[in-house]
Amino acid sequence: MVTAPSSSDCPLLDQARVVFLLGPVSISLASHDAAGVPSLARAFGCRVSEDRREVVALVPTRTAESLLRDLVAGAPIAVVFSRPKTHETLQLKAPAARLGPLGPTDPQHMRASGNAFAAELIALGYSAAFSHALVAPSKEDAVAVAFFPTLLFDQTPGPRAGRRLEPLP
Amino acid sequence: MTVPLSALRACFEGAVPATIATCAADGTPNVAKLSHVHFVDDRHVALSYQFFNKTRENLLHRRRATVEVIDPASAALYHLHLEYLRTETEGPLFEYMKARLAAIASHTGMSKVFRLLGADLFRVLRVEAMPGDALLQPSPPADLLAGLRACVVALARCTDLAQLLEVTLTGLAQHWDVHHSMLLMLDPDQRRLYTVASRGYPESGVGSEVRVGEGIVGVAAGARTPIRIGYVVQEYRYSQATRRHFADSADGGVLETEIPFPGLADAGSQLAVPLLNGDRLLGVLYVESPVEERFTYQDEDAFVVLASHLALAIDGLARAADQACELPPASVQGAIRPVAPATPPATRSTAPSAAGTAGGTIQIRHFPHDHSLFVDNEYLIKGVAGAICWKLLREHAESGRADFTNRELRLDTSLRLPEVTDNLDARLILLQRRLAERCPLLAIEKTGRGRFRLIVSRPLQLVEVPA
Repeated sequence: MVTAPSSSDCPLLDQARVVFLLGPVSISLASHDAAGVPSLARAFGCRVSEDRREVVALVPTRTAESLLRDLVAGAPIAVVFSRPKTHETLQLKAPAARLGPLGPTDPQHMRASGNAFAAELIALGYSAAFSHALVAPSKEDAVAVAFFPTLLFDQTPGPRAGRRLEPLP
Repeated sequence: MTVPLSALRACFEGAVPATIATCAADGTPNVAKLSHVHFVDDRHVALSYQFFNKTRENLLHRRRATVEVIDPASAALYHLHLEYLRTETEGPLFEYMKARLAAIASHTGMSKVFRLLGADLFRVLRVEAMPGDALLQPSPPADLLAGLRACVVALARCTDLAQLLEVTLTGLAQHWDVHHSMLLMLDPDQRRLYTVASRGYPESGVGSEVRVGEGIVGVAAGARTPIRIGYVVQEYRYSQATRRHFADSADGGVLETEIPFPGLADAGSQLAVPLLNGDRLLGVLYVESPVEERFTYQDEDAFVVLASHLALAIDGLARAADQACELPPASVQGAIRPVAPATPPATRSTAPSAAGTAGGTIQIRHFPHDHSLFVDNEYLIKGVAGAICWKLLREHAESGRADFTNRELRLDTSLRLPEVTDNLDARLILLQRRLAERCPLLAIEKTGRGRFRLIVSRPLQLVEVPA
């Protein structure tokens, strides 16, 4: 089970971390089925609530069948955000996630996030054709996967990778 | 949709990071980025174990993982459903992954961060192609199989080792568009490889040496595995490895360091393939390119097949050369000319065997401790090739003989040539090329199977330098 939220009243995400989550990052979500077999899917863009306690990842349905099934069944969630340019990586975990329809501005937000991520890849030397093909699902039907992160980890490669991060007062 | 693992090998080039999902004993999922998923065979992949992290802890508990890999050309996404089998900390898989990890680390500017502790081996339970908008794949630039066929046909026609080496390296350029290549043979001491042929460099580097286990060539030889690197990587630049270790190594003096390596200063792509006949290592075929990611898995396949044909052909020709009948007793026209011993006693003179060549006497000095030879103070060669050269020169000076056979060299105990493991023809080719490059007044000319002639075109003064 994902452990209880930190005793602190502060949200896990400070403003800088929120800015990072909203940047040109790759977003991958994981869960598992009843047998413990992991499921995996990509999201394109996310929203963070005003109080920074809820994160909503925008997940194209066509490429996320197993993951969405597992989340609907009530399995916990882990989400990794990684910026290719800096390798900076954060992982959030929550004991459950709630699936819902996209909000009115979400499709546009997904496309913009896909384009920003593609631009980041192109700047790093990946071909435009590859980069745009990779983010193509950002233009497809999607669901909003909402969760309240209870654990936060620094996963930037290096000796401190895996370190649990506490809320910053 | 299920697809065979071999169909998506481009995903394992390390060009696009992968993602791994695992599950803890208490059911908490974990998701992380991966720098490197290694293709092992159609049913297995390996992951690099660099740190003990949550992913690894989960794998040891639950043994299941789901990994997303991405084709770097088409952007197609695949999910691999994996079962953890074991961790290897030595051997070919480990060495190959270590070399490739160093390349990726260097490429991404993280050399100090990545270090391989083990190769985690997984069985691939299922490969799932994710629906998406993958791009159509362009066809490969060169038809590898047709080129391989042409190379193998050409190898089969070779009647001696020199021809075999030439045909191999020419074939790479002609059929596979590979223009920087070299062949190294294993020294019988099993610790060094010596360059016997190269193509595409200003200096041939023939005679230069690499220590087994160092640089990409030495590691490929030591682990008996092909190693392919697609980025500029300092750690595996074989030319530097030798230099660096020369100073701080006890056997540094044994290694040939006078002759510089011919390799590219900043190779973008490198591929080293061991020449194996069964389990026995004969040498290494090494190719490189200034272009990054020049060699694919398919190239590696083709090179491994070619190397295997080459190894068989080298062995076959070496046996044939050694079994070839000996010359009838020396009857060399006009070459037998008694030479009066010169002074000091350790010095001998020899007259040119080819008439009409102008020029004064050339001094050749021999240092017995490592058989190094100097021509008028210019370094020529050392080791076995040096010993052979000195023997030929001595005999030529003493009896005027010019024609020799492989067999008599083989039987000469003073040369200490191992019976089975040494490829005498390779030593002679090395000596022949080194003479052609550095000392044209001496030459070795093949006169038949297992026979050759020493040609001396200037008067020589031979000086044995006491230890």
